[in-house]
Amino acid sequence: MRRICKIKSRFLLIVLCFFLSGCSMVPEKSQEESTQYVSNIESVPEFSGEPYVVVNENEPFFEEEDYTEEAFEEYSDLDSLGRCGVAYANIGQEIMPTEKRGDIGSVKPTGWHSIQYDNVEGKSLYNRCHLVGFQLSGENANEQNLITGTRYFNVEGMLPFENMVADYVKETEDHVLYRVTPVFEGDNLVASGVLMEAKSVEDEGDGVTFCVYVYNNQPDIEIDYATGESGLESESEVTKSDVSKEAQDSEYEAGTYILNKNSKKFHRMDCSGASSIKEKNKEEFTGNREELVNQGYAPCQQCNP
Amino acid sequence: MIVIACVDDALGMMFNKRRQSKDKVLQKEIMEATAGKKLWMNQYSLNQFQEEFPESHILCDEDFLNKAAEGDYCFVENISLKSYEEKIEKIILYKWNRKYPADFFFDISINENGWKIIESEEFPGYSHEKITKEVYGK
Repeated sequence: MRRICKIKSRFLLIVLCFFLSGCSMVPEKSQEESTQYVSNIESVPEFSGEPYVVVNENEPFFEEEDYTEEAFEEYSDLDSLGRCGVAYANIGQEIMPTEKRGDIGSVKPTGWHSIQYDNVEGKSLYNRCHLVGFQLSGENANEQNLITGTRYFNVEGMLPFENMVADYVKETEDHVLYRVTPVFEGDNLVASGVLMEAKSVEDEGDGVTFCVYVYNNQPDIEIDYATGESGLESESEVTKSDVSKEAQDSEYEAGTYILNKNSKKFHRMDCSGASSIKEKNKEEFTGNREELVNQGYAPCQQCNP
Repeated sequence: MIVIACVDDALGMMFNKRRQSKDKVLQKEIMEATAGKKLWMNQYSLNQFQEEFPESHILCDEDFLNKAAEGDYCFVENISLKSYEEKIEKIILYKWNRKYPADFFFDISINENGWKIIESEEFPGYSHEKITKEVYGK
């Protein structure tokens, strides 16, 4: 069930205070006081190679009245710059996907660039990152739920937490209250990171409880969060390549690939490596390449699809 | 003793004082694999078994790693194993084949100190597409 998002002012206060307080307990501050610091992210520890930091001793900032055994999804309207806001959901089997993920290539989140680096898994620096992961809510090309995020942010940062929630819900058939808040500094088009909060409902957090800030960073790459432009850190020796128009088109153009569900590699149809895949692990996929990368598949090194 | 543990891709076991994951099929597999033997665990672990298996061969004790004898099974979720390594005859790892957050890890280096993989099999879980069982011995 999707309901209209009305972001509670108390929650905004909490998030803003978090960024003021340097990831510690939430201090008492008035909303006016805090609102001044919407763009102040300087007190969050700088990215130091770890994908996330724990916030508020892993205790989410949910209000008591928000706990419910009914699944819901709320997505914020895009702001005047076209940026996503808070995504809030009560994850349950009722809203989890029953079909494979569809194409999300039509959405261009703010700050989006197609750019590749040799030192990024799958090469593409940026992914269209779901705030509430597809495996949790089945949302495809919902522009209110997709931000520009690095591969590292997506796979090493957000995905492990999404996995934990998804598997808990599948196992117990219970619910997990879940909120992802993208944090944009000033008028930046790329989020600096997201605050992820979750707590299992029926067992009052015994199964799942976390509150973390996930950095939207990529090791060895510098990002201009105002625009999404990027570059190699000065001492790096790897290469980057702006994806040509032709390559960009091919990235979004539907193609057909052979998947190895076991090794999580994907191949061109005519790749000799594809013919040796066991039938039980083989699957044909038609869609764009980026979707596969987002699903955790890596291109075959031989046919380089 | 024979240690049984569940780990993710990074050999993580817990995050924020909670197990990373659990699976009904795996619980049944552990009960069947240890049938006829003593299966030790602490109260935290017992909580995931006792509803489904109220009458069983599980022995619950907070100091079970010191009390377990040769040939006994020990299901471990939230205890460091490093200091017990010499007492361990065999290790059974159940791998989720997933990435989860972790702040507590399986801390025996299975690639060192003479540990060798002697058995490996895969099976589907209830909430996990593929669970891999790996048995290590010396």
